[in-house]
Amino acid sequence: MAERSEADRLKEETWLQRLVRRPEIGAFIVMVVIIVALAIASDGKAFNALGLKNNIKIIAQYGIIALGAAALMIAGEFDLSIGSMIGFAGMSMALMLKWGLPFGLGEATPFLAFIITLAMTLTIGWIIGTIVVRSGLSSFIVTLAFLFFLRGTTEVSFRLINQSTQVSGLPDYKEESWFANILGGEVFGWFYDAWYWFGQKMVAGVEWPARLTADNINYLAALNINRRLEQWVTGFDARFMWFLIIAAVAYFVLSRTQLGNWIYATGDNKEAARANGVPVNRVKVGLFMFTAFCATMFAACQVFDTNTSDAAKGNLMELFAIAIAVVGGTLMTGGFGSIIGVVFGAITVGLVANAVFFIPEIDGAWFRVFLGSILLAAVFANERIRKRITGGI
Amino acid sequence: MAEPYLRVENLTKQFGPFTALGGVDLEVYPGEVHALLGDNGAGKSTLIKTLAGVHQPTSGQIYIEGKPVSFRSPRDASAAGIGTVYQDLALNQLMSVTRNFFMGRELKGPLGTLRMDEMNQIAHDEMLKIGIDFSDPTQAVGTMSGGQRQTLAIARAIHFGAKVLILDEPTSALGQKQQMGVLKTIKRVRARGDIAIIFITHNEIHSRLVGDRFTFLALGKVIGAGTSDQIGNDEMRRLMAGGAEMGDLEQELAGI
Ligand SMILES: Nc1ncnc2c1ncn2[C@@H]1O[C@H](COP(=O)(O)OP(=O)(O)O)[C@@H](O)[C@H]1O
Ligand SMILES: [Mg+2]
Repeated sequence: MAERSEADRLKEETWLQRLVRRPEIGAFIVMVVIIVALAIASDGKAFNALGLKNNIKIIAQYGIIALGAAALMIAGEFDLSIGSMIGFAGMSMALMLKWGLPFGLGEATPFLAFIITLAMTLTIGWIIGTIVVRSGLSSFIVTLAFLFFLRGTTEVSFRLINQSTQVSGLPDYKEESWFANILGGEVFGWFYDAWYWFGQKMVAGVEWPARLTADNINYLAALNINRRLEQWVTGFDARFMWFLIIAAVAYFVLSRTQLGNWIYATGDNKEAARANGVPVNRVKVGLFMFTAFCATMFAACQVFDTNTSDAAKGNLMELFAIAIAVVGGTLMTGGFGSIIGVVFGAITVGLVANAVFFIPEIDGAWFRVFLGSILLAAVFANERIRKRITGGI
Repeated sequence: MAEPYLRVENLTKQFGPFTALGGVDLEVYPGEVHALLGDNGAGKSTLIKTLAGVHQPTSGQIYIEGKPVSFRSPRDASAAGIGTVYQDLALNQLMSVTRNFFMGRELKGPLGTLRMDEMNQIAHDEMLKIGIDFSDPTQAVGTMSGGQRQTLAIARAIHFGAKVLILDEPTSALGQKQQMGVLKTIKRVRARGDIAIIFITHNEIHSRLVGDRFTFLALGKVIGAGTSDQIGNDEMRRLMAGGAEMGDLEQELAGI
């Protein structure tokens, strides 16, 4: 026998073994189970033309902020201010649109309202990050402070400027402004056009009764045809596109770039990363700004979609974002996580949050029972993955 | 006699009122292993952290190839050719061998993308040169043995241009067989002839096996120094014990 070396002790794995050991596998299986269960329980309604649109709307909402939260968690920090940042950004845009730019600088266009708001939220993200890295305090406590601070600021600003904590009845900016339209309008119309085109082929020549039965309507809905036999849904919400863009960029950066290596290194062992010249503090501050960006996108899509905002927007969203990141396989202790897993997690949680609309007999509060359960299961699963990678320490 | 690559003159380091180093002199030559010995708390780690730019000296001077230098950060020291392998190795367990090897100094393509294949190849080749054939550089460091991690950290320091390789107690947390592996690695690096090695240990046998030159620290001061010919085994044992005579120690112990 030839001399044995340490390297021989590592077993060659087949692609199937590798697949099963991927960190996203748990999130993937749960997602598939939920999709199948929801399709059956809702009698297919959850995935008819409108069901799909509405599900993807909430999945994208959760997904956008969960991606930010996950990237930050991989670098070893938390952001509890995400929900309040959503409220703050929504307030800022809505007040500018209704009452004009600050300091009497005139009317605000959607673009100006967005850019000025983004400048503010990125600055706040920078401040939060700088406080965390300079003070060495736990980000948990620093961002908890900003959770209260920003929510309070939002409410006070509403009352001072607007007298009420709600702005509604703004003009529908997406009609006029391309910019409002890419945030609050519809995207991927071709998908629903193709769906309708295919639906028409399916029902060509069918004689419909004068009064459509419930079964008829269900069948047509699954083909993107409404009761008047016209095209039913025309596109996804624009936030779906932003979710895809942010997920693609986050995936690319984390897995393929130098910055991604720095993010993982920072969260795994900050001192080791620093000793090797990784600019740990800049990475962290940058990621706090990224979560602020994600919260701002969430708010902008909401404001330009509904033309309203109020002081409670985004409430509890920071906790959903963190929960989804964990369900997607992100380690609470940092250094490990997968963007694909977070996407699976957002799909799972989004579908379950919406399930009550498709299965009216169930109590909506079951959603939180479910979320609590998979969160706990995910934490245990993630811990096992971490132990396997670190050799059980 | 060749010129020392690194020379330290009368280096002191205070932490507030506490004198961690009280005037240390040191010379390290390329192609030699300089063993730095001393008890826990003697100041070994403080000395090398000062050389590595982590601490700034309170007074004294560091020379590289005869020229005075001062390091404001680990980056400065690393640019001057000082590669440090710390006790904790500065490795990230959850990351792959390659990602650790290039941490902070990644090879970039357009848009900051990683040139992963090239990096895998280099990491593999560099580790092979000093002794381990690591078949899968995408494996996480957490699954490697302690000796393999040492080799990775050493190969990394050399690849990024270390002319002085500082090893802080590389054998202390390892089993017998792996300790020998690390000593072999040290010998292989020494055989290249162009790298000066500072080997910190408090194991007398290990230092004997690979050391060309010795410096003994106790309570922040040098209490003895010399080449391996100049320092005999008894003298070595006396200095290891912080300068106390073995006979005295035996008496002391017997008296309890
Ligand atoms: N950053 C620091 N602040 C204060 N004291 C320190 C610091 N670093 C080390 N010391 C002290 O300096 C002395 C020498 O420590 P060290 O260099 O780690 O010793 P060794 O590595 O030889 O065991 C110890 O008494 C230690 O407590
Ligand atoms: Mg030490």
